[in-house]
Amino acid sequence: MIDEKFKKKLFETAAAEGISDIELYYSRSKSDSISVYKSNVENFESSNKSGIGIRGLYNGVMGYYYSEIIDEKDIPQIIDSIKQNAGIIDSEDEEFIYGGSESYAKVNVYNDSLNGFSVDDRIAAAIEMEKTALEYDSRIKSVSSAVIATGESEIYISNSKGLDLSEKSNYLMAYIELIARQDDSTKEKGDIWIGNSPAELDVQKLAKSAADKAISALCGSPVSSGIKNVIIQNEVFAEILGCFVGSFYAESVQKGFSLLKGKLGDKIASDKVSINDDPLLEGGMSTTSFDSEGVATYNKAVVENGVLKTYLYNLKSAHKDGVSSTGNGFKSSYKGTVNTSATNFYINTGSSNMTQLKDNLCDGLIINDVAGLHSGANVITGDFSLAASGFLVENGEIVRPVEQITIASNFFEMLRNISEVGNDLYFTSYGIGSPSVIVKGINVSGE
Amino acid sequence: MLSRRIAYNILDTALATGADFAEIFIENNVKNSIAVINGKVDKALSGRDFGLGLRVICGDRAIYVYTNDISKDNLMKMAKDAAASVKANTRCLIKSFEKIDYTNGVGEIVIMPDTVKKKTIADMLRSASSVAFAYDDAISQTQMSYMDSVQDVCIINSEGLWSTDRRIRTRASVSAVASNESEKQTGYFAPGAMSGFELYQQIDLNKLAKEAASSAVTMLKAAPCPSGKMDVIMDNGFGGVIFHEACGHGLEVTAVSKNASVFAGKLGEKIASEKVTAIDDGTMKGKWGSINIDDEGTPSQCKVLIENGILKSYMSDRFNGKRMNYHLTGSSRRESYRYMPVARMTNTYIAAGSDKPEDIISNTEYGLYAKYMGGGSVNPASGEFNFAVNEAYIVRNGKICEPVRGATLIGKGAEVLMNIDMVGDNLMLAEGMCGASSGSIPVCVGQPMIRVKNMTVGGRG
Repeated sequence: MIDEKFKKKLFETAAAEGISDIELYYSRSKSDSISVYKSNVENFESSNKSGIGIRGLYNGVMGYYYSEIIDEKDIPQIIDSIKQNAGIIDSEDEEFIYGGSESYAKVNVYNDSLNGFSVDDRIAAAIEMEKTALEYDSRIKSVSSAVIATGESEIYISNSKGLDLSEKSNYLMAYIELIARQDDSTKEKGDIWIGNSPAELDVQKLAKSAADKAISALCGSPVSSGIKNVIIQNEVFAEILGCFVGSFYAESVQKGFSLLKGKLGDKIASDKVSINDDPLLEGGMSTTSFDSEGVATYNKAVVENGVLKTYLYNLKSAHKDGVSSTGNGFKSSYKGTVNTSATNFYINTGSSNMTQLKDNLCDGLIINDVAGLHSGANVITGDFSLAASGFLVENGEIVRPVEQITIASNFFEMLRNISEVGNDLYFTSYGIGSPSVIVKGINVSGE
Repeated sequence: MLSRRIAYNILDTALATGADFAEIFIENNVKNSIAVINGKVDKALSGRDFGLGLRVICGDRAIYVYTNDISKDNLMKMAKDAAASVKANTRCLIKSFEKIDYTNGVGEIVIMPDTVKKKTIADMLRSASSVAFAYDDAISQTQMSYMDSVQDVCIINSEGLWSTDRRIRTRASVSAVASNESEKQTGYFAPGAMSGFELYQQIDLNKLAKEAASSAVTMLKAAPCPSGKMDVIMDNGFGGVIFHEACGHGLEVTAVSKNASVFAGKLGEKIASEKVTAIDDGTMKGKWGSINIDDEGTPSQCKVLIENGILKSYMSDRFNGKRMNYHLTGSSRRESYRYMPVARMTNTYIAAGSDKPEDIISNTEYGLYAKYMGGGSVNPASGEFNFAVNEAYIVRNGKICEPVRGATLIGKGAEVLMNIDMVGDNLMLAEGMCGASSGSIPVCVGQPMIRVKNMTVGGRG
């Protein structure tokens, strides 16, 4: 896969230029995406790309460089950039090039059967998805996106300390976005499915689920402003959890950007809340056997019955705290530097189904959509104020759709105020998971 | 970056099965970034993006393939693959190429980023950090960053276009966190330009760092924002994000041509209060959102989108524009070769009105004064938008009173445009990044101070 000649020359030049340890991270990926509009293929996108990320320790400091061209001619310039970038770093934290863990778990992230899912099969699936949605209900007026995408990627890490790891994975994604109209009310909603087994793809189910979301939201209206109890639906709570997951990173704690500083062993959430970070989860979006530093990954409890058990560490932050890396040192791609990232990070399921949650709530709101998380949340303090919509619940029954309201609260306060956890664990496309939960006392702004 | 013969062969192969248009986009983008946390250089990164995208259009179908392997064999295979799904009986001829170089079309670059020493940049960021820390004891953390990019592009199409362009951009951000026992608040500014390093001779990062620190300290002492409906005064500059979200995205033909925008079919109709004139101008010299040519090679333009409340123009690209027979507006943009270009905004703003800012405030009995806005988002189909306010104050009896934190504004674009009842004379632009289907691109938003009647404000108070 990687050009061995290039690697050899790179490592040799680095050593000659005073770079004590060097690492080459290479990734190669292919992707295809088919989008259908009015039963015709509207867009067909296909890619074939690769890139390298190189880092090296120069005078004990890590320098980085990346490129989308792999060319031996560039090696002197690559080495020079690494030295220049390392040369201006002031941070005194020790950094590491890692020789490898004792053993790595086996993960199942490549499905051969996906290779047999032809372009024609995928076009047919996208058309069926669009058709199902349009025929489902007369209020579904158009499908703005009906996409089937596939891809595979291979990453490879090799360094001068002898690390040599690679992993190949593939995925299949289906995505639909549609518009429902009734009287003056218009709603656009979507749904997404990601896996890697064509046999598990159910485009009809996905189309109906998106259509149900849009139809049920039609002709909503605000509720009066005030403090209310709410059921936050799984998808929404997972998104909120994803927004604040950085607070659990040791790196944020050490730099003073997390309110979880000094809270290890403390109760930070209600008894009902247990959170795991499980990189070995079967079928997970972020499943992998090693992180971008080459450290073996493993399943760990981050919060157990409300008590904070660990932060998520990479080699640098772990060294600073005198502990071992939790295998959470990730780069976003070959372009990035090693930071910290959660893998499959989720709140463990409780026992209540939605009917029981509604009974338990009795009077309040179900929040099934929020917007503005990228701007309306203070990721340090946990404060957020978001556009929201959902349903009004009275005596345990849904009465009507609600829109044009905001919900405002604090993430950490909310963790403490979770009174019930549902049994409907849902994962976002980036691996953050949550069941639906009941949260007491949220500020709602409406009429 | 490509010989005439290879370019011709790629386009010819792509058109061989009957497509009516083919286009090559090649990009080489050299990037640098430096981040300083709490006064210390924490990250320095440099690298090079390079790749080629080939777009083939046949009627209402667009095929896009991209790669960073530009060996002749791979490119010819790509062109063949792209053509494979097209079966038409026409044969479009490639016109002879006319080479045009747009480099330096918008503004001349005085200091090329690659001539600046990394230490100079680090010193500038460290200095900004010291200024923020010195402002107040409550400042507990700072994050300063810098980036530059030199993007060379070459766009070649079957209609004979062969345009090259160089886009040089640089941006810095200053952020200060103020803390007490239970609270942390952040102040943030991020100036940028289509310019070289000379930008930092024109703006004073230290001054902005001080302003970020001041904003954080003010917000630290602020009570949570009350919730409910009230009049909202949005100050100039980044306040323009309201127009960008509430209306701008809905005027892109991507949504309009599929009737997925509340503004579809409304050209010539009144969609905003007569106080509102809005413009998208990609030609402004040196502005962050400016472009010499768009990513299909169309020279950038200045468009009046709304004139005294009447909808005058949409923003268009070749593929989606054709669906509704709309002319090109120089709006087709993409983050990189990894994206098919679609209609996007450049520098988009509400034009200056005649109201004096002090009159807008003194004429407001009760409401929210949003001094600095944060980001937001919109659903173009329903027009529902939301955005955050970074620094806000309660207005009482025509006077700006106590600061409030954590405010969010929501509404529907079509309604809010009608409810703008005062427009100030102090137009200012501000820089941001806009994300949509063709990736994240630099844009300016802007407006003078405006007042919107009866908006929904969300907060914890």
